[in-house]
Amino acid sequence: MKVLHKGDIFEQVFINEPGVDLHIVQEAGSRVKIHIINLSSANNNIVIEQAGKGCETEIYALAYLHGEEQVTTETHVKHAVGGGRSNQLIKFVLDDNARGRFVGDLKIVPDAQQTEAHQTNRNLLLSETAEMRTQPQLEIYADDVQATHGASTGQLDESALFYMQQRGISKQKARQLLVNAFMKEVIESIPDTAVREQLLNTIDGVVE
Amino acid sequence: MGKELLVIKNLHASIGGKEILKGVNLVINEGEVHAIMGPNGAGKSTLSAVLTGNPAYEVTAGEVLLRGENLLAMEPEVRARAGVFLSFQYPVEIPGVSMTNFMRTALNEKRAYEGKEALTPKEFLTLMREKKKLLELPDKLNNRSVNEGFSGGEKKKNEIFQMAMLEPCLAILDETDSGLDIDALRIVAEGVNRLKTPQNASIVITHYQRLLDYIVPDYVHVLADGQIVKTGDKTLALELEEKGYEGIA
Repeated sequence: MKVLHKGDIFEQVFINEPGVDLHIVQEAGSRVKIHIINLSSANNNIVIEQAGKGCETEIYALAYLHGEEQVTTETHVKHAVGGGRSNQLIKFVLDDNARGRFVGDLKIVPDAQQTEAHQTNRNLLLSETAEMRTQPQLEIYADDVQATHGASTGQLDESALFYMQQRGISKQKARQLLVNAFMKEVIESIPDTAVREQLLNTIDGVVE
Repeated sequence: MGKELLVIKNLHASIGGKEILKGVNLVINEGEVHAIMGPNGAGKSTLSAVLTGNPAYEVTAGEVLLRGENLLAMEPEVRARAGVFLSFQYPVEIPGVSMTNFMRTALNEKRAYEGKEALTPKEFLTLMREKKKLLELPDKLNNRSVNEGFSGGEKKKNEIFQMAMLEPCLAILDETDSGLDIDALRIVAEGVNRLKTPQNASIVITHYQRLLDYIVPDYVHVLADGQIVKTGDKTLALELEEKGYEGIA
């Protein structure tokens, strides 16, 4: 367990780790910003507790999987004190027989008024045999809060693919453009430009 | 008369088992503008979908030749590279794919097909700027996602802008006038007219005579119940406007 003291900042990008296991307790005014990028199998478990006022937590996770690869990402975010903010954006892109699983446990205790908490899970299935399981669990016991969550799983937009083909773009390249567009939101939120660029190059390679 | 560009022979096509085109015959030569008019459900949009290879439609009989080659055997992207362009009735929004990236990919795929080298970023941007002026489109367009958040007029201008970039030999304008106010219509029509050369041709699919005041056709065809039932010159469009389709077909 890691304790972030008043005003501490924990910012980290995890790329292709077989598993990220983090347990962080945030004291007042501390900030967490993590990115987890998986291009192969992994198990991630992120536990965050906002124990002091005015904390910020940002969790971004992206998994892009092929073959028999599997990723499970669990997030457990607890607002034990009010006035904090958390934002989670979790995306999976699954091709072939890949499996994805997201468990998103978000808790706001009765006294944690004026909390702002958002959780978004978006998944893209590129094959008939890929599979995604999503289990959002929201426990919100305070009434004066701003909390949103959404989960959706879909396929590539056929009409967009045809539109691009009609302009001379091969179907494969069109797929690549759409997949990259889907992943961009997570990648572009990485603060370090060099890391971002390197990642975009890696992903282009995977798609081609 | 120009050389034969597109030949459609006895074309039959269906969607979901329902036959929409029931034997369309049409010859288009270089340098010509053909208008196709007809009531809703006649098969106008099906014709454009079939010519461009939309996978939702099935061709059940007939053939289509583009400069003597079997168009129907080509993948949609190959048809596009060979010079068939569709200005969509409902252009698709593609969030996250910038106009620049989209257009550069499309143009370079076409150039590769023609055995030409890819444009440098600088050459490409210069070309974008030049062609955008033609449609009075703003510069900020480059960084926006394809059609995302565009107004109806901007979407249609964007179609013609793409046509200007790709310089097709056969442009199919599917209800390009729908949803356009008179100013946008004028800009779009002027764009189309300025792209006209003795070597290319266009098919203008429309419901109304209005567009044909701006893009003057050499031939007007009436499509009804999956067949071309009447062909005439531009005066046929006026006659249709006056008497309605029932009075003609």
